[in-house]
Amino acid sequence: MMETFAALGGGFAVALQPTNLFLALIGCIIGTAIGVLPGIGPLNAIALLLPFCLALKLPPESALILLAAVYYGSGYGGRITAILLNMPGEPSAVLTTLDGHPLAKQGRGGAALAISGIGSFVGATIAVVLMSFLSVPLARVAVAFSPADYVALIAFALSLLGAVGGGSAPKAWAAGCLGILLAMVGIDSGTGVERYTAGSMELLGGLDFTVLAIGLFAIGEILLLIETRIRAEAAKLGHGQRLTFGEILFCLPAMFRATGIGFVIGVLPGAGASVASALSYTAEKRLNENTGKFGQGDMRGVAAPETADNAAQIGNLVPMLSLGIPGSGTTAVLLGALLMYNITPGPLLFEQKPDVAWGLIASMYIGNCMLLLLNLPLVGIFARLLTVPAWVLYPGVLALSFAGVYAASNSAFDLLLAIGFGIMGWAFRKLDVPLVPIILGFVLGRMLEDNLRRAMSLSDGDVMALVASPVSIALWVMTLGALLWPLLARRRAA
Amino acid sequence: MTAGRLLGVFLVALAALAIWSAQSLEVPFAADPLGPRAFPSTVALLMGLCGALLLVPRGPAFEMPERKAAPPLLVLVMAAYALLLVPLGFLVATALLAIGVALLFGARPLAAIGTGLITSAVLWALFDRVLDLPLPKGFLGA
Repeated sequence: MMETFAALGGGFAVALQPTNLFLALIGCIIGTAIGVLPGIGPLNAIALLLPFCLALKLPPESALILLAAVYYGSGYGGRITAILLNMPGEPSAVLTTLDGHPLAKQGRGGAALAISGIGSFVGATIAVVLMSFLSVPLARVAVAFSPADYVALIAFALSLLGAVGGGSAPKAWAAGCLGILLAMVGIDSGTGVERYTAGSMELLGGLDFTVLAIGLFAIGEILLLIETRIRAEAAKLGHGQRLTFGEILFCLPAMFRATGIGFVIGVLPGAGASVASALSYTAEKRLNENTGKFGQGDMRGVAAPETADNAAQIGNLVPMLSLGIPGSGTTAVLLGALLMYNITPGPLLFEQKPDVAWGLIASMYIGNCMLLLLNLPLVGIFARLLTVPAWVLYPGVLALSFAGVYAASNSAFDLLLAIGFGIMGWAFRKLDVPLVPIILGFVLGRMLEDNLRRAMSLSDGDVMALVASPVSIALWVMTLGALLWPLLARRRAA
Repeated sequence: MTAGRLLGVFLVALAALAIWSAQSLEVPFAADPLGPRAFPSTVALLMGLCGALLLVPRGPAFEMPERKAAPPLLVLVMAAYALLLVPLGFLVATALLAIGVALLFGARPLAAIGTGLITSAVLWALFDRVLDLPLPKGFLGA
């Protein structure tokens, strides 16, 4: 308990440095803005910013403070379009449209935005407090993990991809395998053999993480956007009654429940913010069956999913920092960012790099306060971003993507590679192949192979060593369950 | 051919290629019992099995875009950018890219040119003047 406070104090000393405060603010503004804009999610934005962090030689804690602020800031932005336009800016804001848009139609759009902003703040802040106290104990459990246990843990994290994607499980698994294979490209660190380089000099060092992420997500998204004509509508804030203090109190219990649901869902690998916001909305609706007007503009119907969304986003960071296992696409990109800085998240991060781990956590307390202040009075300015036409916005995004790739590598070859991944991302989206497993597979692939080979070396090639400890047996059983779940679920549905 | 089958064929072929490529690796010395071949081969095999599952016909045909010409044209514009960035320099190449993309997004010609010039100038000022990142200079020196 006391050591947590001491460590957190050290973290605040890092987070309160002027540069880091400034970067957190920039991250919060960018995060809210990209949350508003449809088509640009936090994953794209972080992938775009990462090469600039590296090119500018930002220290790792500063880069992480900026990138994480974009990540949790996006949770504040998604609600704005959901409420004003009935169009979720982020997938996790779908539930917010159900009551948010009716409220806006009744002229209370401003009030709905305010309560969702407060909900986001409550959810995120409580989740950060929980994270402060849970990360180190969780990391301590993982310190004792052997390479074989890690193999089982990574296999479990990857197996969840098919179970929670919602789409076709074989497609998600194939995408995960493809991601792992892409991670194999380059010189094998164990033996010095070249793998999958096709004799190309540029590929000897392996595929650059930013090239893959920018190509798949940013360029692929623009290819997808350009196919359809975008129909823009004007946004209105509404001048109805402002949010009252009574209404905030009325929503508080719902917010606390949503925080709990969101955080727990977030910590579990695989399930993300979309699941959390849907669950908490359904829970509130069930609990208040007789008194609520859910679907017609209930304040709690806006507060609950937004609170859960932000709590889950923070929860998602816990396994990434303490175990080194990301639970979502965006946390996988954050993990990739750390790896590019030669920092391996996981059990030892809190001891070896306290500045990075605790600086990040402390900055999240500060960032959420900034976001609340930014989002209550300035919500109108962010809403106006929606009136920027596509032909102004996307040429800039594309130019920024290419500048990022070039800044990371100084090579035109990587630009062509990014375009190739963009075409792949576009085709896969059209074929309903999820892209997040590719990123997760890419980030976890090397780690999986390294641990597997280490485990095999330790056991002299005895495969049974993989299931020698209780931890690994439990994880393999869960992995099997996660792999079989989609098949069972389909049989039940049929 | 349905979209699912097309994808299945692609995945099986890719897996076969990956396994074949891994088998041809020459390992100079035995560093660990597993070596560099086994893991990628296994993963590729799993991918191929998933691809084979997709060969069962199911699902809709590949959905043709609303504006068929736009994605290939955008790919052309981007590829041209990748090849011309170093010879032309950041400022000129980025302006051309932004004009092209703006036109493809349905901007009127004058608006596209305005967008392109402003986008390029703003990004150049940000990267070169403020952040001091290395950008290709080109013939204009910018």
